[in-house]
Amino acid sequence: MSDKGLHTKGLTVRYGGLVANDSVTIDVDPGTVVGLIGPNGAGKTTFVDAVTGFTASAGEILLDGTRIDALPPHERRTAGLSRTWQSGELFGNLSVAENLLVAARAGGWRTLVRDIFVPRRKVSDDVVSRALEVVGLADVADTLARDLTLGQQKLVGVARALAGGAEVLLLDEPAAGLDSMESRAFAARVRSIADSGPGILLIDHDMSLVLGVCDVVTVLEFGKQIFTGTPAEARTDPTVVAAYLGAPVEASHA
Amino acid sequence: MGTFLQFVVLGLGLGSIYIGLGTGLLLVHRATGIINFAQGAMAMWGAYVFAQLRVDGTLVFPIGSIEFARRPPIEVAALIGILTAFVLGLVVHYLVFRPVRHAPVLAQVVVSVAVMITIQALVVLRFGPNNIDVASILPEGSISVLGTDLPTREIIMAAIMVVLAAAVWAYLRFTRAGVATRAASENERAAVLMGFSPDRLAAVAQVVAVVLGTISVMLGSSLTGLNPDNYTLLVVPALAVLLVARMESIAVVVVAALLLGAFQSVIGLLVTKSWWPVWAQSGLDQVIPFAVVMVILFVQGKRLPSRGSLQTIRLPDVSIPKLKPVPAVILLVLGVAALSFTQGTWRFGVTTSIIVMLLALSYVVLTGYLGQISLAQGAFAGAAGFALSKMTSAWGVPFPLSLILSALVATALGMLVALPAFRIRGAQLAIITIAAALAIERFVFNNYTLSPPEGNPIADATLFGLNLGVREGRDLARISFSVMVLVIAAILVWVFIRVASGDTGRTFLAVRANERAAASSGIDVRKTKLIGFAISAFIAGIAGCLIGFSRGQLSAESFTVFAGLQVLAVAYLGGITSVGGAIVAGVLGPLGIVYTLLRGVFDLGEYYALISGLGLIITAILNPVGIAGATREQVAWVRRRLSRSGPPPSTVPDAPAPKEPSRV
Ligand SMILES: Nc1ncnc2c1ncn2[C@@H]1O[C@H](COP(=O)(O)OP(=O)(O)OP(=O)(O)O)[C@@H](O)[C@H]1O
Ligand SMILES: [Mg+2]
Repeated sequence: MSDKGLHTKGLTVRYGGLVANDSVTIDVDPGTVVGLIGPNGAGKTTFVDAVTGFTASAGEILLDGTRIDALPPHERRTAGLSRTWQSGELFGNLSVAENLLVAARAGGWRTLVRDIFVPRRKVSDDVVSRALEVVGLADVADTLARDLTLGQQKLVGVARALAGGAEVLLLDEPAAGLDSMESRAFAARVRSIADSGPGILLIDHDMSLVLGVCDVVTVLEFGKQIFTGTPAEARTDPTVVAAYLGAPVEASHA
Repeated sequence: MGTFLQFVVLGLGLGSIYIGLGTGLLLVHRATGIINFAQGAMAMWGAYVFAQLRVDGTLVFPIGSIEFARRPPIEVAALIGILTAFVLGLVVHYLVFRPVRHAPVLAQVVVSVAVMITIQALVVLRFGPNNIDVASILPEGSISVLGTDLPTREIIMAAIMVVLAAAVWAYLRFTRAGVATRAASENERAAVLMGFSPDRLAAVAQVVAVVLGTISVMLGSSLTGLNPDNYTLLVVPALAVLLVARMESIAVVVVAALLLGAFQSVIGLLVTKSWWPVWAQSGLDQVIPFAVVMVILFVQGKRLPSRGSLQTIRLPDVSIPKLKPVPAVILLVLGVAALSFTQGTWRFGVTTSIIVMLLALSYVVLTGYLGQISLAQGAFAGAAGFALSKMTSAWGVPFPLSLILSALVATALGMLVALPAFRIRGAQLAIITIAAALAIERFVFNNYTLSPPEGNPIADATLFGLNLGVREGRDLARISFSVMVLVIAAILVWVFIRVASGDTGRTFLAVRANERAAASSGIDVRKTKLIGFAISAFIAGIAGCLIGFSRGQLSAESFTVFAGLQVLAVAYLGGITSVGGAIVAGVLGPLGIVYTLLRGVFDLGEYYALISGLGLIITAILNPVGIAGATREQVAWVRRRLSRSGPPPSTVPDAPAPKEPSRV
């Protein structure tokens, strides 16, 4: 394990009396894909929310060796921690390209001054087209985000998370809404993103996708981390099989 | 001590009105999720009817009136007043609030502001702008407590209102309909399951709210007389009370209302003391509700229950503007032509339209692009105007610098008002901005130590020896002044288009669409709001300075809260998401071209406020994209039609898929 990448130590989130994450310790090293699985309500989204600063948490969160738990969400993003949302959360009234540009070019006072005095005549499409290329959606750049199918919206979410440059990607069920063919293509893309550098945390209910693409798998149940190991170990681990893989491994959405 | 106690009790009269308005606000919010900014205005109408009956026996309707030979007895007059309130509640519910019950928060805020403007304008038309006396239903008298004579009227008033509020509490608490009303505020289906129509429940709530408010105003106004502006704006302290009660507890509404009334009364006593600083004598009673609102929102901002809080404000689509040279030149030429072929009041009207266009543009930035509701734009303009007066006449700052520095004063104020927007949004932000606007108007603009009653003179602008003053001899609107206004406006529109079509504009739209997603994309949402408020207030500030130059002097009346609301009305009417909308708003705006027409040609100037209020109600209900947006959609529709029936497109790429006109 290196210092690089995302590391949490004893991450704990409480919603009232409910312990939604109970001392979760996860390492997402650069270039690796870590799967986070567990039944509905296990606390997977909560983990992503806590790590990215959208919900209060206790415990340590380190990005490239630096504590980031005190930073507001947007600073964690600029520090290189990028996420997608289970519910898509695109900017529906903007085009796909603009959605990506939002992430690539955050505003600010200096941006304001530049907008007034030296506007960028031509939008440099590089960032946009490269990110869209990665998720295989190059042809929808000018479509309004809300006119896309749910599956496409999720993929655009991934592209948006990539657009500003990212050290670690946290993908919350990005493949929900894809059919099994598209899902397999998506797995290949996830792999190639990881190979190009960033670490990836992948949440999905599609076991074949997760076990197929991940280097490490962590299983959550009622907020507790009940297993961490390779996919091969997960397939044979009795607790995992009992808790989550009891159903046939191919089972997709819960 | 005795005087102190007397003033506390005197304040109960005002407190009673706050109970009436606050309980009504709570009830309506409970039943419909709407915060009704028109609560004060609606409660005032019935009280006016009552008062007028007692003054000269005339029963006044919105249109027409009946004159009784003898003044009806006070009980009959009161009953007629309450009946009027009943009808008003029903009418407003079914015609106005029901159609927007599922509309986004912005439309609901705008609709209730429109009702407020409309009723206030109607009161001025039908009953006159001045204070009228109100007969007292309750006997005058006093009781002696601890050796101090205390007036009984205020005490009885408060007691009556407490009992009525308790009745509303009991209704919500113990009747099935009341329980269903509370359930409906969380989930309309729950009310349906209990066998009630949420709509019927909302109508009941609206009627009860208006009647309650009317009774409180009928009682309370006997102490001071009725006045259209003051009573309309009593909704602001009542909203403060509502927030203190977290929009939930009637008991807290009652206590907070009485405390606030008493506190304001005691402040009225204290400011007359010799040790009280002179500069803080005026308007402190309005600063208090504002301070209360601020503290409450900061302490519990995120926890305030609000049906609208989960749903981000949805607004009409924005088409990102492009700087097109040809239309720009055409518009400029049109502007110059309009200015050079007119003179006197007409040219003044055109010039004012250009200035109002800028005010509307400040709404386009803040509300159209950033999705934040501000009712304080008039105060931003005013702050700059007053700063300009100081700079030009007291300090002799030369022209373009004085303009820019004054606008920067407004910018600073805008950034201050942006702070609450960090924590709250939607209707609650509207509450805090209107409270801020009122506090600024009363505490600063009306403050004789800061703004002398004889007016704040503004020296004419000169640039390189060129006289840019508005008047000379009998010329009311010199062309050089008007052209200066046009040039400044053109520069600002040009800057706006650059910002709106640049990275900043995109960031605004992202924040407007989804704050969470924006933050997760690396956008500093707070800083973005700060920037939005700054730009918007700067534009409003320039407009305020131009208004100042055009008048030659300013007084508190130049920038009332109502003037600000009227500009919101026309901005929304024109279309709050585009420059085109701002231009339409300018043409329609107060003292602008349409106003000059109404006054000069049709002799209908006094109906202007009423017409703009009604126009806004209709727009907010039927056509949320405003006039400019509707025109754009129609043009797009016609184009699609033409391109489809025309020759097969050879070089032209396919027209975009036909899209429904956006609805909110
Ligand atoms: N903001 C919140 N406030 C209170 N409780 C919450 C909140 N968000 C989530 N929870 C609760 O925390 C638990 C974990 O929820 P979470 O959304 O993290 O699960 P998940 O593993 O992502 O489930 P799914 O597979 O359905 O997406 C659930 O019991 C949920 O009800
Ligand atoms: Mg989840």
